[in-house]
Amino acid sequence: MRDETSLNPPVSIKDGRGGIEKKLTGIPRKSQLALLVAPSALWLIILLVLPLITMIGLSFQKSAFGPGSDVFTFASYLNFWQNSAYQGLLGKSLWISLVVAVMSIVLAYPVAYFLAFHAGDKQGMLLNILIIPAWTSFLLRVLAWRLILGSNGLLNTFLIWLGVIQEPISGLFYSVNAVIITLVYIWIPFAALPIYVALLRIEPGLLEAASDLGARPWQGFFKVTLPLSIPGVLAAFLYVFIPTVGEYVTPALVGGPNGLMIGNIIWDQFMRGLDWPMGATLSLIVMLIVLLPLMFIAKAAQQTGLFGGKSE
Amino acid sequence: MKIYRFRALVLLAVFVSTLLAGCSAGAGTQEIDKPEKPLVILEWTGYEVTEYPQFFVPFSDKYGDNINDYVNVSVFGDDAEAFAKVQSGFKADIVHPCSSWWGLYVESGLVQPLDVSRIAEWENIPEAFREPGKFNGQYYFVPWDWYFEALLVRTDLVPEMPTSLADLWDPVYARHVSLWDNGEVSFAMAALAFGIDPFNTTPEQNEFVKQKLIEIKPNLLTYWLDYTQAIELSASGDAWIVASAWQDTWSVLVDEGYEVAYLEPEEGYLAGVCGYGIGTNNNNLDLTYEFLNAAIDPHSMANFTNEYWYGAANFAANEFIDEGAAVLLQLDDFENVLKNTRFYPPLTAERRDLLSDLWNEVKAAP
Repeated sequence: MRDETSLNPPVSIKDGRGGIEKKLTGIPRKSQLALLVAPSALWLIILLVLPLITMIGLSFQKSAFGPGSDVFTFASYLNFWQNSAYQGLLGKSLWISLVVAVMSIVLAYPVAYFLAFHAGDKQGMLLNILIIPAWTSFLLRVLAWRLILGSNGLLNTFLIWLGVIQEPISGLFYSVNAVIITLVYIWIPFAALPIYVALLRIEPGLLEAASDLGARPWQGFFKVTLPLSIPGVLAAFLYVFIPTVGEYVTPALVGGPNGLMIGNIIWDQFMRGLDWPMGATLSLIVMLIVLLPLMFIAKAAQQTGLFGGKSE
Repeated sequence: MKIYRFRALVLLAVFVSTLLAGCSAGAGTQEIDKPEKPLVILEWTGYEVTEYPQFFVPFSDKYGDNINDYVNVSVFGDDAEAFAKVQSGFKADIVHPCSSWWGLYVESGLVQPLDVSRIAEWENIPEAFREPGKFNGQYYFVPWDWYFEALLVRTDLVPEMPTSLADLWDPVYARHVSLWDNGEVSFAMAALAFGIDPFNTTPEQNEFVKQKLIEIKPNLLTYWLDYTQAIELSASGDAWIVASAWQDTWSVLVDEGYEVAYLEPEEGYLAGVCGYGIGTNNNNLDLTYEFLNAAIDPHSMANFTNEYWYGAANFAANEFIDEGAAVLLQLDDFENVLKNTRFYPPLTAERRDLLSDLWNEVKAAP
């Protein structure tokens, strides 16, 4: 578009543009910027910053309602510190998230690799196919796993039909494994995208050079492709890991008695326990635990130029 | 749970849109006693006057065509959830909690005292149901429905029939039991199973019951959150025994032809009564009492009992109740029911917190 207009600029468009530029230049640069940022800034302040401040305040209250709401206390933090059940659950949630993130990446990498290097002109279509499931409601996709993993579900019926098992396997559903399987399924497309983008950015010349210098295909992969795709892999990891730590729906629907995560207890504290200070405390602790390593990685990545940032 | 929330959302959206449509369409016509704003009713799912007009016959007969001008129903699936909603600022004109929660509503100043002289059928409600709603000499709740909590058993699947609550810990039912995800109820159930008075416990007993609730985990398939999930778990055959199940769960499964029993455990039924309270800021009392009288009307109540097999608090309704439900509810010998059944007494705030924390720790335990 731009090339066309610069090659043969129609008079009217040129005039129109000039008009807009004049209008914009009428406003001083600073307020121009403020005007652009204002809507999203307002949005973030109202829906993110203020609630966060409220949460921090809430976590130091004795209770959310009544006379106890004016009392400043560390009771909720102390309670968490002394409560091994909550600490254990937090640890388990982090562990589940780690497993889910790693498995999603391992399964998404070949998909991304195929898309980037072997799909040819079907790339666009295959990319769409990868993304289409994400158009369905998250909740529906979680519920669909009931049909697959249930004791009369697809998987058990199929295995019985094959004669591999006689009795339905009951441990498939309502367990930690069910939570992990479901979440990995949901995250694969999201993990594949950043890896795919990172792979696309690799110059084909580098691989040719590797093979010219005598590298076998697998050597080329491990010495060239993989290291260059690390930024995508890290991005995919954070993309999956962070939201999974606070996951609530999936464990509630398929987790059973032992597959619950910290998000379920936080929900309970707010929605039914009426212990909002404890719920706020748990949320903040989860956030801190996730944020600290994230900031650390981001800083390290910036210094080494891993994410393609300033490396000079 | 989630489905309900979604449904509630859809319902709300439908309400708002019909309300808007109604407003614009009916702007010209004048209703004589149309209230400034509809009564906000916080109601159990499956009880909404807008969906089930037969449970509120006189009211829905009178206002049926423009019901949305008169009421606006929000639904909940769990008492704790409803209380949290009202406590955190939801302005409900009429609430419908069960007996354990009545004291908390009064204590927090969320309901106003009743004028029982305005409730026509008041004298037909047994004292056993009215008294738990009496605080400082005044009544705050119109008892409406009462229910049992018992064992819902798939007779065709269990290797042997359970007879008591303590049987739930038996390994023959490994991974086939489902408890209600409700601290107060599951605590009472477990306490009763081990011979402890569920409503008066010492700290040592609390610790004991907590350990027992952790110990039962290998036997659990999952916790159920609301009655649709309880139905689904039993219908799919995944849960052989659903604990603390209500009559309506059973009635639905029987209607669909499943082989299920509703078993009174040897320890006796746990039971509760629920009722309507009037929100503190409700100033449309005329319409409110009209609604309450319509709800407690013998025919409304009989329709309700015949559909869900729950008890009707208005005993004048008993003559219209089908035989099946009457037998289940032992209506011919109610004195005996009162003797062998433990009705949940109103909870104090301290005990509620204690049970809620205890239950969360049970669920968080590995």
